Amino acid sequence: MSLVFQSLVLGVLMGGLYALLAAGLTLYFGVMRVVMIAHAAFLVLAAYLAWAFTVGTGLDPMLSLVVTVPLFFAVGVGVQRLLVARLRPATMTMMSVLLTFAVALAVEGALGLVFTGTHRRLPLSYAGARLELFGASVALVKLIAFGLAVVTLAGLHVLLKVTRFGQALRATMQHREAARLLGVDTDRVAGYGFGLGLATAAVGGTALALDATIYPSLHWAWIGPLMAIIVVGGLGSVGGAAIAALLLGVGQNLLQLPLGTTWAQTFFYAALFVTLILRPQGFFGGRLAQRF
Amino acid sequence: MKAVGLVVLAAFLVAFPSLASDPFVLSVGVVIASYAVLATGWNFVGGFTGYISLGHAAYSGLGGYATGLLILRAGLNPWVALVVGALVVAVLAVPVGIAALRVRGASFVIVSIAVVLVLLLVFQSWGSVTGGSDGLRVPRPFDADVLRPEQHQRFFHLHAVLLGVMLLCWWVIDRSRFGMGLKAIREDEDKARSLGVPTVRYKLAAFVVSAFFTALGGGLYALWFGFLDPIFQFSILVGSNMVLMSLLGGVRSLFGPLVGAVVVGYATEFSKAQYGDTQLHLVAMGVLLAVVVLFLPDGIIPALRGLVARLRPGQASIREVTQEELVRR
Repeated sequence: MSLVFQSLVLGVLMGGLYALLAAGLTLYFGVMRVVMIAHAAFLVLAAYLAWAFTVGTGLDPMLSLVVTVPLFFAVGVGVQRLLVARLRPATMTMMSVLLTFAVALAVEGALGLVFTGTHRRLPLSYAGARLELFGASVALVKLIAFGLAVVTLAGLHVLLKVTRFGQALRATMQHREAARLLGVDTDRVAGYGFGLGLATAAVGGTALALDATIYPSLHWAWIGPLMAIIVVGGLGSVGGAAIAALLLGVGQNLLQLPLGTTWAQTFFYAALFVTLILRPQGFFGGRLAQRF
Repeated sequence: MKAVGLVVLAAFLVAFPSLASDPFVLSVGVVIASYAVLATGWNFVGGFTGYISLGHAAYSGLGGYATGLLILRAGLNPWVALVVGALVVAVLAVPVGIAALRVRGASFVIVSIAVVLVLLLVFQSWGSVTGGSDGLRVPRPFDADVLRPEQHQRFFHLHAVLLGVMLLCWWVIDRSRFGMGLKAIREDEDKARSLGVPTVRYKLAAFVVSAFFTALGGGLYALWFGFLDPIFQFSILVGSNMVLMSLLGGVRSLFGPLVGAVVVGYATEFSKAQYGDTQLHLVAMGVLLAVVVLFLPDGIIPALRGLVARLRPGQASIREVTQEELVRR
């Protein structure tokens, strides 16, 4: 029983992290109808930057966010304006996948060149610390990662729901032409949406680095689960992706008990296929997802 | 003109092994021929229907494993195993196709990637049957007294024959009612459907044909190379290579994937031999793919054809543009 409860708590924590990692993907899809394969590669890039920062300066990896978040925002705007926006609208969905795939390859190759293929791990003084949480023993780093995810997602939610920019962004997601008619500069908003998505990758990558061994080709292992999350949640729905991430995270952790870690991974793909067969538009998405 | 070109191509394919200066060049030739087979196999679904699958490594990998396992566990003759294996893969592709083709665009690509990742997990973990992460040694189909260069030569010709059969099939489909339907799906699926094209059945048929040929290519490669490692068989890189080659050559052209395979395959093998296997390859492949997607989305062959047409004398001062060309812009 306590083992199941322990997995449940870990699953919720993992699910929160997954929600953070997948948040950017829903933003890109929302504003540009683009499936950003390179998102996972940028997560790993952020993880490496956090690692290099900590090893180089001896400071806490959280402080690297001061640099990486604005940097990733700028890169995201650049990727949208210089690369994705150049594609022909008719073939946008397919070609953008290939384009962002190309970006992922370039990022992975560059990481390999700069940092070599050696497996790295953040040297943290509190890496081994554990906390008792409702009777379950949880590593402190997992709690910090979960906290980062909650803070970032809450911030994103406020940004989207309360601010004027958030309104413009949501309008662009819902109906681009109508938003433009109402005076929204959709091209610029789409660029900022991309930047925002990549900025979440900076936070997500740092959270990931706290508790994972990193290496350049790590992003392949993340693409599949993240894609499964956004499809199950409904493409383009930030809230749906968060719910799906929590459910899948808990499911995966509970399945690890009888199946072991490797086979529990297949849970994501099973969920993906079941979703496509029962409800291709996703379980929590709105009308937007229906068209894809 | 076309016939002469075909004869020259065929003559080159027959004569290449005797022209190759040493076994290494010959083995590079086999690798490029294998790339061409896989890319052409991919193009049955990518070129006709416009559904871009990044996960065709699933079918080449399954083809290789099916061939190897049928030889080792069922004791079949290697060539029988090759064909039976590809048929098994084609049957397996039916449910995958039904699930994947329910969705369009982005979701389709996601599913195609997911299939490869699932298979990688399964083939790595299910060690008792597949050999797991240690890989699977596939016995050679020829006797031990057939030496390495001779092996390369035979496999080069086998690949060439398979490629010929596939190109013929592509050509026939391209001119058939089935092919017209597929191309209509590529241009506008909803309109095609409203005009009475049975889109679901057509897409599925193209998908299964593509999986079958890709599996044959994977199986033939497995027989030649003699060793399968799940990491390399079920790799998204292999699938993206097929996409890159086809796009570079031109997905709407019969010989597009072949041209792309020769260019990319030669460049890859040359730089591997020259500079070793470094991470720079990934960067180069990424940049090349991005350049093709941004500036040459129709591929080399249509670009060259357009250039020739423009330079040819006798053009009217006002260029005539067909509806098809207008839509493509």
